[in-house]
Amino acid sequence: MDIKEVILTINRMLADGVVDCYAIGGAVGATFYLEPVATLDVDIFVTFRLEPGSLLISPQPIFDYLKAGGATSEGEYIVIAGWPVQFLPPGTPLVEEALREAVVSDVGGTPARVFTAEHLAAIALQTGRARDKARLLQFVEAGAIDATRFQTILARHGLVDAWHKFERQFLDDTP
Amino acid sequence: MSFDLQKILESKRSLRSKLAARPLAEKLRMLDTLRERELAIRERPVSGSAIVREVPPQSRI
Repeated sequence: MDIKEVILTINRMLADGVVDCYAIGGAVGATFYLEPVATLDVDIFVTFRLEPGSLLISPQPIFDYLKAGGATSEGEYIVIAGWPVQFLPPGTPLVEEALREAVVSDVGGTPARVFTAEHLAAIALQTGRARDKARLLQFVEAGAIDATRFQTILARHGLVDAWHKFERQFLDDTP
Repeated sequence: MSFDLQKILESKRSLRSKLAARPLAEKLRMLDTLRERELAIRERPVSGSAIVREVPPQSRI
């Protein structure tokens, strides 16, 4: 099990032109800014290439490429170096923006493209499950997000009310 | 070690900050380890005798 091998594989996929762009999100993305938290899978957001002669966006070229390299599939996941990896298209304008504005971090000599902390926090707010709220709290408590940049993203994507509700629910009583 | 809640919370915050500040490659290796542990726990069968249940004390009335 080696998550760095997953990153190397995605970088090769990018260099070979299988995807136009990628960024790591989810719990693994959050680990670039926070303390590591146990997770069972890796979320990779990608812009899919159009298959020749097709108007439909398909992840099939990704699966074909990775399977040719020895990866196996498990349902919606493809297993790389022991990690189930899920390739996700950007489903909202916020995630599209996060993918466009992702930053490159150095992981021991390996470049890894990852969502910014502010986008990860905004996506957690938008998704809104209990675990997302917990992650958002981690970002706030760790002081890992730039408040101005975060507020700008929230305003651009209609999340200001959701943020005020979150503040009332979780932050107003913080000593 | 103490049972002072403020000190405990402060030491937790401190540990989390130290972990967050570790090099990325090291933090990702920690993810590998955490996942291996989580899978090991999930795969371990839970037998009835292994479950500890709290038994309330009998009333003396």
